[in-house]
Amino acid sequence: MESWMMAIAILLPLVAGILVFVIRQYHVQSFIVVLTAIILAVNSILFLQQGSFAYSPGGFNWGLIVTILDYVILLFYLYVGISLRNWLVLIFALTQLIPLAYWEFGMKAHVELTPAFVVDHLAMVMTLVISIIGSLICIYALRYMYDHEHHAKLAKSRQPRFLFWLIMFLGAMNGLVFANNLVWLYFFWEVTTLCCFQLIAHDLTKEAINNAARALWMNALGGTAFVFALIYLYTTQGGANALSVQNIISGNIPGAVIILPVALLCFTGFTKAAQMPFQSWLLGAMVAPTPVSALLHSSTMVKAGVYLVLRFAPAYAGTHLSTIIAIAGAFTFFAASGLAISQTTGKRVLAYSTIANLGLIIACAGINTPLSIAAAILLIIFHAISKGLLFLCAGTIEHQIWSREIEDMEGLAAKAPLTTLITTVGMLSMFLPPFGMLLGKWLALEAAFMVPLAAIFFVLASSLTIVFWTKWLGRLLQVLPKLGWPREKLSLSYSVPLWLLLIGIFVIGLGIGPIYQSFILSATNNVIAGNQIITFGWHSLILTGTAFVEKGILGLFPVWPLYLVLAVALLLPLLFIGLKPKELRPVYLCGEQTGNVGTDEWLAEADVKTKFQLGGYYYQKALGEKTLNPWVNTIAIVLLVIMLGCGVILK
Amino acid sequence: MINQLITIIVALIVAPLIGGLLFGFDRKITARLQGRYGPPIIQPFYDFFKLLGKERIAVSKLQFIWIYGYLIFMVVSLVFLVLKLDFLLLVFLLGFAGVCFVLGAFSTKSPYAHFGANRELLQILAYEPVLLFLALGIYAKNGSFLINEIFKQDKPLLFTLWPLFIAVLVVLTIKMRKSPFDISTSHHAHQEIVRGTITEYSGPYYALIQLVEWYELVLLLGIIALFWANPLWVGILIALGTFILELLIDNIAARMTARWMVRLSWSVGLILGIINIAYLYLTKGVA
Repeated sequence: MESWMMAIAILLPLVAGILVFVIRQYHVQSFIVVLTAIILAVNSILFLQQGSFAYSPGGFNWGLIVTILDYVILLFYLYVGISLRNWLVLIFALTQLIPLAYWEFGMKAHVELTPAFVVDHLAMVMTLVISIIGSLICIYALRYMYDHEHHAKLAKSRQPRFLFWLIMFLGAMNGLVFANNLVWLYFFWEVTTLCCFQLIAHDLTKEAINNAARALWMNALGGTAFVFALIYLYTTQGGANALSVQNIISGNIPGAVIILPVALLCFTGFTKAAQMPFQSWLLGAMVAPTPVSALLHSSTMVKAGVYLVLRFAPAYAGTHLSTIIAIAGAFTFFAASGLAISQTTGKRVLAYSTIANLGLIIACAGINTPLSIAAAILLIIFHAISKGLLFLCAGTIEHQIWSREIEDMEGLAAKAPLTTLITTVGMLSMFLPPFGMLLGKWLALEAAFMVPLAAIFFVLASSLTIVFWTKWLGRLLQVLPKLGWPREKLSLSYSVPLWLLLIGIFVIGLGIGPIYQSFILSATNNVIAGNQIITFGWHSLILTGTAFVEKGILGLFPVWPLYLVLAVALLLPLLFIGLKPKELRPVYLCGEQTGNVGTDEWLAEADVKTKFQLGGYYYQKALGEKTLNPWVNTIAIVLLVIMLGCGVILK
Repeated sequence: MINQLITIIVALIVAPLIGGLLFGFDRKITARLQGRYGPPIIQPFYDFFKLLGKERIAVSKLQFIWIYGYLIFMVVSLVFLVLKLDFLLLVFLLGFAGVCFVLGAFSTKSPYAHFGANRELLQILAYEPVLLFLALGIYAKNGSFLINEIFKQDKPLLFTLWPLFIAVLVVLTIKMRKSPFDISTSHHAHQEIVRGTITEYSGPYYALIQLVEWYELVLLLGIIALFWANPLWVGILIALGTFILELLIDNIAARMTARWMVRLSWSVGLILGIINIAYLYLTKGVA
């Protein structure tokens, strides 16, 4: 049973990927993808039923296969570096390849380790996110890529190749979160980097290839840190046992030895989670077709980065490294939220928001209390749902107006009311109560006082967050006084994932009590063996027991009542306010409008009939990338240096 | 449970009465300061019912949704205060009310409303961090985010959180949209943005806006009263004192720009907040 579940989670995506690559018929491909999606989703729920277990695959010499594939991937990086004449890619491919080869062959390292996989509750949470949300995005990609290629008028379809990498990504992610052997974790890590590179470069434009190369070298830099962590652990501890994730986090290895490799691993996590100063690869990844962005941002890739930092939280708990991770994450949260305000492209706002929220999650890992770890896990789940939804919305909007610019989305509510409605809920769910993201942010803030500097960044960042979301929403909602909505039809491949994710926001949000009790609590205990600090009544979340109030109540979040309030406040008016034609009036323009009520033409200078136009504010002088990036990157690099320095000194 | 229900109902009825009276008082005082006689103190209520009786007019089919959101989330924030619940969540709920207000203005194609909405966003940016800092300060002092815990302490918050108190006074001015912060909309005649965010409201929906303003005023004064929660009457006197101070400032100050406002609150307000929290962190430490 367990071996089947593992095989399905890791290998089925590979098999399905090969099948869709070979069979080039749209309908057969769709069938395979949908079937794989359903099996993966069911399988991830089975993991939950099964409970924790350790597992080592038998049969083949899997260790050898992993080693060979490691080198295949690294040699491919070399090839990319040379063929694109991109020296950074080349250098960081070599910095991985040479030490790894020296270690494995020169020093004849013996890296076999049992168990190879450990499925604990944190891994289960991750695989649920990967398998369910990732699969929905793959389904969405079917139709999206069809439209995408139709619009681009490609002679020969490249969709099979695209779907191959997309689906395989899910398998690599599952392997990554299950792996207990760090060498295997490293292998899956490189596979995700490879998939990411292929997907970003998919359109083969010059920009796409450049940005893919940038993603590759930044992640290869992280991979280099990973390799050094491996070698350091192995040599100082003298054996493969030091390469067991469970050993590292259970405190079996003395803290003084562990801190440098853990700092390196966190650095690796920072690169993949696009923390500042590595944010540029994720921003560049926006050139890829939208399902790629949706996948990278919600359930895969960047979540691997935060997973790594969160996974090793017990190993650096109580050290200065933990504090500096909290501050670095919180700083990214703050700086990315500020930069998001100046963005004029929808997908870039989403990207900055992702970077910001990953910073928040990493900061929670760094704060390293039971409360903050629970917050981090909740944020991973809710962020995956909401951000997955928003990217799919962005893709849907793009295929209706063929633009990604926020200014082109002006008045979208009047053209595509259904998409706008879903997008609006998605955006509100990112930053307002009672939605899950805000719940997580609230938890994080209640925990943040342990690291006051992080708390200050949290406060500033959440204020900035309100501004950029509201600003964008405002552009969508601007409508003229007219009655009735146009009928909007979406393809099933679009609407099913959209609706499911939308429903997911509410189901998980409303059911957070039982969900927390049934598995998030155990996942938190996988990271920090803390007492239960969150309790749920049937409708409320209560935080108890704090630093200086004995058994007092720290905070209270009435979940259900607030959803009820939300329904009364926004849903009821939406359903029950009906306007009559005679109630419609033009807006205030001193009577200079021309024509009837629903017009936006007026008599401008010299009484010339002109359509009046409104624009959004972007504050590019004050908050633009040109102004802020030098500062932001400098501070981020200093923080990173301190972080690695912590590893060296504390040793 | 029954007690809580009664508290809620009383608060929902009494708060707008107090708020309306305070606004009437405001108009009277301001008139006197300007050498006019001024309307009767209960003029806001006359206006309110007059507006309610008018025909409904719409310039956008989306605007009204957000107005109800504005009203209801403001009321819920007030409920959080009177039930002495989580202060941090109260600030977030107040934020939702603010967002609804902005989106109401954005959902029309009106240049003046958009001016106001964009500026209102800057106002949110200016006051939100200070309120969140206050929440952190309350936690640092009491070890809990619950307002209930504030009432259990003998020593008033004002003694330890006085820097944040000063910052909150600035927030009060911004929130009341009084000079020098009457930037997104105004109670005086500043013609160039007409009435900013609320330009496009009329009749019954404008009455709703006024109702929300009354709730909001009471809520903010209530938050200020928390600085001296034991005994509460001292806190209420302090709150009323600050209200009168606001009226004076309103009448002697000219309007400043939105940028200046954000700079002021992000420099002075934040420095006060940070000093306050740092002091508490260092003296109390984290056990």
